[in-house]
Amino acid sequence: MRSTIRTRRGRKKIHKDFELQLTSMMDILVIILVFLLKSYTVSTNSFSSVPGIQIPISKTQELTPDSLHLIVTPDAITFENQRVVEFVKTVDSLEKDSAKAQSYAFKNEDLDEGGMRIARLYDALNRAREKAELLRAQSTARDQNGNPLPFDGIIAIQADKRVKYDTLRKIMYTAGAAQFRIFRLLAMRQDQ
Amino acid sequence: MLKRPSSRRRSHPAEIQINLVPMLDALVTMISFLMYTMAFLSFTMIESPLPIVSPETNQHQLRDRPLQLTLTINEKDLLLWSPFDLIPQRTIQNKQDGQPDVLKLHEALIAIKQKFLTENKLILVPKGVTSYDTIVAVIDAAKALEKTDPIIVIKNEKTGVQEQAKTLFGEVVFGNLLGGDE
Repeated sequence: MRSTIRTRRGRKKIHKDFELQLTSMMDILVIILVFLLKSYTVSTNSFSSVPGIQIPISKTQELTPDSLHLIVTPDAITFENQRVVEFVKTVDSLEKDSAKAQSYAFKNEDLDEGGMRIARLYDALNRAREKAELLRAQSTARDQNGNPLPFDGIIAIQADKRVKYDTLRKIMYTAGAAQFRIFRLLAMRQDQ
Repeated sequence: MLKRPSSRRRSHPAEIQINLVPMLDALVTMISFLMYTMAFLSFTMIESPLPIVSPETNQHQLRDRPLQLTLTINEKDLLLWSPFDLIPQRTIQNKQDGQPDVLKLHEALIAIKQKFLTENKLILVPKGVTSYDTIVAVIDAAKALEKTDPIIVIKNEKTGVQEQAKTLFGEVVFGNLLGGDE
C-alpha cells in the first residue's frame, strides 16, 4: 500500500550520528552467560531419554560413565538400540498412556529356566559380551600378567518408574547369566 | 562592562565510547556454544553388584555372624532385620498414600549405622509387585547421608585416620535376584 504524503512527512528521520545502545543487551548476555556457566553440565555418555517412559528421580550424584545400554520401553526391551524382546500386548496397552497400562509381561516362549531367564535377551547379551572380549583380545592394553583386560560386565538399565521389580529381576537374572556382574540403574538427578 | 564568561565551564568533556560490537559477538558465540554442548538431561546411576553365592562365603558368614542388614519391601510396610538377630526386627508402615516412609527408614538406618560403623552393605529384598520408583526411593534413603544427618565418624583401616562417612549403606545388593519372592 502506498504511503501518503502526510505519513511520509510525519515520519521522523534518523540522524546520521544515531548509535544503538548495546550496554543493556550486553548486560542481558552476560547474565545468560553466567547462568549457563553455573549450570553447565557435559554428558560423558550416550544415554538419552526415550519418549513414553518416565525415569525415576534419585538424590544420587554419581556420574554415569558410558556402558552397554538396556532400555525397558512400554512395548519392548531394547538393547544397544536393537529391539530384543516384545512384551505381551493387551487392549489396555494400546491406550494413549501405554506405560501406565502396560503389564510388562513376557510371552511364555521368550522365557526359560523356570520363567526366570529371557532367552532372546540372553542371546543378545552373550553376543555383546563375546564382541567386547574379542575387542579386548585385539587391543594392545594388557594387565600385569600380559593377558587381555577382563570383560567388565557392566550394564546400564533404563526403565519406566512404574515397571515392577518382577520384570527387572528377570532382566538382571538374565544379565547375570550372561556374565554381567554390575547393574547400573539409571535415574534422573535431583537438583540439590 | 561585564567580563565574558570562561569557556572552560561550558566545554563538555569528550565522551569515550567503547566499541561493544566485538565483545557482543564473542558473547553470542560463547552462549551458542554452551547451549549446543550442554547436557540438559542429567542422568545418575545406582550401582548394584550381582550377588555371588558360594559355599565358602556361606561358611564364613556362619562362623563370623555378620550383621547382613536386610530390608524387605512389602506391599504395606518395610521390614528391617538381620538373619543372625544382631538387631531387633523393625517394621516401618507405609504412609497414608501407600508410599514407603523413607524418612523413618533413613532414621532407622542411621541408628543402625551408629552401632555398626564398619557395616556398608544392605541387602534389598523387594516383592515382585514393587515398582522401580519405590526401589530407587528406598535405595536413596539407604545410601545418601543428608547434611542435616548426625555426623558419623569411621576409622579408615588403611590410613588409621578418623573420617566422616560419606554414605550410609553404600553397597546395595538385591537379595532375591536368583530366586522368587519367598
